[in-house]
Amino acid sequence: MTANGFWSMGGYARYVWPCFAFAIVVLAWNLVSAHRYLAAARVRAARTMAMAAAEET
Amino acid sequence: MWNWFYKLASPPYVFGVAAAFVPWLLGVAALTLGYGLIDGLAIAPPDYQQGDAFRMIYVHVPAAMLSLTVYVVMAAASAVALIWRIKVGHAVAAAAAPIGASFTILALVTGSLWGRPMWGTYWAWDPRLTSELILLFLYVGVMSLRSAFEDPSRGDRAAALLATVGVVNVPIVHFSVVWWNSLHQGATIVRLGAPKIAGSMLWPLLSMWVGFMLFFAAVLCIRLQGEVLNRERQAKWIREAIKP
Repeated sequence: MTANGFWSMGGYARYVWPCFAFAIVVLAWNLVSAHRYLAAARVRAARTMAMAAAEET
Repeated sequence: MWNWFYKLASPPYVFGVAAAFVPWLLGVAALTLGYGLIDGLAIAPPDYQQGDAFRMIYVHVPAAMLSLTVYVVMAAASAVALIWRIKVGHAVAAAAAPIGASFTILALVTGSLWGRPMWGTYWAWDPRLTSELILLFLYVGVMSLRSAFEDPSRGDRAAALLATVGVVNVPIVHFSVVWWNSLHQGATIVRLGAPKIAGSMLWPLLSMWVGFMLFFAAVLCIRLQGEVLNRERQAKWIREAIKP
């Protein structure tokens, strides 16, 4: 397959490349949002522990 | 075996296992997705009828299969939580729902992009497309219902009930191309008998499918840790778990 043939995808480039680009967006969103969710949960848990420790003292 | 199964009901054990698996799952997912992309986009021959447009199969089919698989995982976890009152089940279901919804959107959008050059339209009220859209509504319904209650445990139970009942849509999506006269093509891989696709096109597809499954497992493990932390943040074991 030539470079031109690869990028033109036999005339279907306007469908094939957005399809793969959207897949990358969805995969990236999943990874980033999951990490952000976990980070937020860690902060909440740490805050709860700190409040509990403050109440004990 | 049973001992390990019982351990899965323990939030600290699940939190630790999920954290340990993430790098391995992501590493192997990156390798299989990389191979699938290179082989699928540059090496596999064009289809004799669809030309290079068929290459959308390497995203569309794994996304569609995953949308159904994730729903089954969510429904099974919900059923376990409802029947045996295992809290981790609700956490798994809550972690799986947004992932499943995103892959259902991916399947619908990529199917739409594939449909335009092949069918002449982005959308048709075809049984396969309509039942997949209903699957998306079920995911959105489960997520909305979970957050609609002030009492989180009531939200969990209501969402689990909807997820369990909604699993009836999964065989409808899968067999819609058999039961009704559908515009969508029939089963190519998951069918009785040998797959109806040449080996040179099948291997990258299988690789992408494995990559998507491993990626789902990795993201589920990350989200599950967050769910467990949110639900157990009053517990003493959390102090050790979130040490930097």
